[in-house]
Amino acid sequence: MNSRMLNSSTLITELSNSHGNTRDYTEKSLLRHLLFRVFLCASVAKIFVFIRLKQYLKPVGSGTNPLRKPPPLPAHLFIILLLSLAASACSQDHDDAFHDQFFAFGTLIDLTLYGVDPATARQASERIEQDFQDMHNSWHAWQASDLTRINEQLATRKTATADDSILSMIAEADRLSLQSNGLFNPVIGELIALWGFHDNPLPIGTLPDKDTLNRLVAQRPSADDITIEGNRISTRNPAVRYDLGAFAKGYAIDRAVERLRELGIGNAIVNAGGDLRAIGRHGDRPWRIGIRHPRQPGILASVEIEGDTSVFTSGDYERFFEVDGIRYHHIIDPRSGYPADRTASVTVIHGNAATADAAATALFVAGPDEWSSVASRMGIKYVMLIDTDGIIHMNPAMQARIRFEPETNAVIRLSEPLP
Amino acid sequence: MPLTSEKMQVQTTPEDHRIAWLTALAISIHLLESAFPSPLPGFKPGLANVITIVVLMQFGWRTAVWVSLLRVLCGSLLLGTFLSPGFILSLSGAACSLAMLWLGSKLPGQGFGPVGYSVLAALAHMTGQFTIAWLLFIPHPAVWRLFPILLTAALLFGCVSGIIARAMCQHRLPCQT
Amino acid sequence: MTRADRILLVFVVCILPFLYARTWSPDEQARYVQIQAGDAEPIAAELSPDRILQVHGPLGDSVIEIKESQVRFLESPCTGQQCVHSGWLSAAGELAACLPNRISIQLLGQHPLFDAINF
Repeated sequence: MNSRMLNSSTLITELSNSHGNTRDYTEKSLLRHLLFRVFLCASVAKIFVFIRLKQYLKPVGSGTNPLRKPPPLPAHLFIILLLSLAASACSQDHDDAFHDQFFAFGTLIDLTLYGVDPATARQASERIEQDFQDMHNSWHAWQASDLTRINEQLATRKTATADDSILSMIAEADRLSLQSNGLFNPVIGELIALWGFHDNPLPIGTLPDKDTLNRLVAQRPSADDITIEGNRISTRNPAVRYDLGAFAKGYAIDRAVERLRELGIGNAIVNAGGDLRAIGRHGDRPWRIGIRHPRQPGILASVEIEGDTSVFTSGDYERFFEVDGIRYHHIIDPRSGYPADRTASVTVIHGNAATADAAATALFVAGPDEWSSVASRMGIKYVMLIDTDGIIHMNPAMQARIRFEPETNAVIRLSEPLP
Repeated sequence: MPLTSEKMQVQTTPEDHRIAWLTALAISIHLLESAFPSPLPGFKPGLANVITIVVLMQFGWRTAVWVSLLRVLCGSLLLGTFLSPGFILSLSGAACSLAMLWLGSKLPGQGFGPVGYSVLAALAHMTGQFTIAWLLFIPHPAVWRLFPILLTAALLFGCVSGIIARAMCQHRLPCQT
Repeated sequence: MTRADRILLVFVVCILPFLYARTWSPDEQARYVQIQAGDAEPIAAELSPDRILQVHGPLGDSVIEIKESQVRFLESPCTGQQCVHSGWLSAAGELAACLPNRISIQLLGQHPLFDAINF
């Protein structure tokens, strides 16, 4: 009964209130109104009681001087009315969840904190912003950073030293890479640079040189080649070059969530450019996350999350360029050297953000045929993959969890249950 | 019964005379005020409220209601603004201020003086006018920014009216609170 | 000046700063537009893909345009056209309505349906 949109010639969105709950945004002011109404009812009740009592308490021997002041109402009634007026004037009308946005890590970070007073929330937000800046400076793949230093040393001397924080990140990336059978590959930095998905985009309309590309692919840089002992990294293949673009964001989000927990905040969403991790819930309901459609404007589906959950999506619409009508995006298949071309997007729900980030990339590369086996190897329980034909692939657990917007009429292909 | 040509006289009480005189005074002030420009239609310094307050203090609330409502009605008829948005605003303002004055008169003990009543009436009048203006005429949320400014003005003018009312009270019949 | 007078004045002078703070606080960022047609439940629409919507009312279809996180009545079948003349709504809380066609649009801050969007 809510779909009131007609017409098919302009770009429509059929606006139907499928989740049935726009009243949520008024819940915040409900308390204020409730308070006011309670005061008002109490006042009215008192007036009523007073009038009734008056019948039995007629004053003795009073004349009817018309100018005599009529009997006053109890003083505290007046005070209650004034206070309720003040209460409605003073009460804050803002949203119960704190929102802040800032640019960091090359993307827009959206922070949502629930159940925290504004001062603490602001402080936390500033802290998180600083953390992101520091991580960005430290891990940048091509500007001068710890990571570029490590890459140089690995290329020239096949060995490098690093401090603990970056070391643990690299170790984690390597582990996930092996788990994904190399489909998520953190050391194909040369290939990514060749495609221009760094600061030096290719001139418009050009593709990378085929010979260089094939040469780089043949070198087969792999996480397999890396050994970490103590604080020393060594490689047997000098072609490795770390580019953690597909992983660093998730890792950074994990660190941010740790920081929030340190600050005593237990209900929050850290959303970095669309990929997010949420902890706790939104008060008395779970967090509701909308998932954008890879090809159309608007929301494709939504999912409810609580506890400690990440939702990550890799898509071919994030960074790309087109040549002769073919789209070349930034998720390179290490086996071919070309962007993986059978997937439009992959959405992964997992606890840990770093794993989710790497998995989303790996599953994207795996494509509609192999995603299921890669997901089970990586221990991912919820996957939705949309291929370039628009078919939605997912496992039964994901289907049970996700809720599609009503105007979606895609074909869904269920896989076997993931272990 | 012999038919005598008696002059038919409308029986008037002294109170009627009083009310009529005071209402006439209030209307004159109202007309004078309407000559001044104002930021929004219907928002005026409210000096006619002086009369309302004096009436309230000397003759009670009911008389004040008569004077106030008659002032709004006759004033609008004379100015040609009857049933216009300005009239609606005046009426709602007057109704709110009268209601607030009634509440105020219920205060135990000595209660309010002329200044207090005047401030109360001015604030209630402004709030009532603003709310009706927002509900019926300009439902734009940005308009609320005007509200504290108008309230401040109402506070100031209320104090001024109150002081004038007090002066008037002292020179005529003593004011009963 | 009676005691009640003084208390009243103090009270009012204390209330005023709150009112100023409340009405003059900076605009909340608009996150979605709420569209209400007649007595139906209000419908929430995202601001992000620029698009044009048609909303059905008793007089006909009103056309609403969403562009660059702003929203306005583009066309409406009413005679007064005041809704169209309201122009673009850009800040949270702003509202425009076509009363004859019983349609109102309002920009609101908090998204009612989703806490965050994943993409």
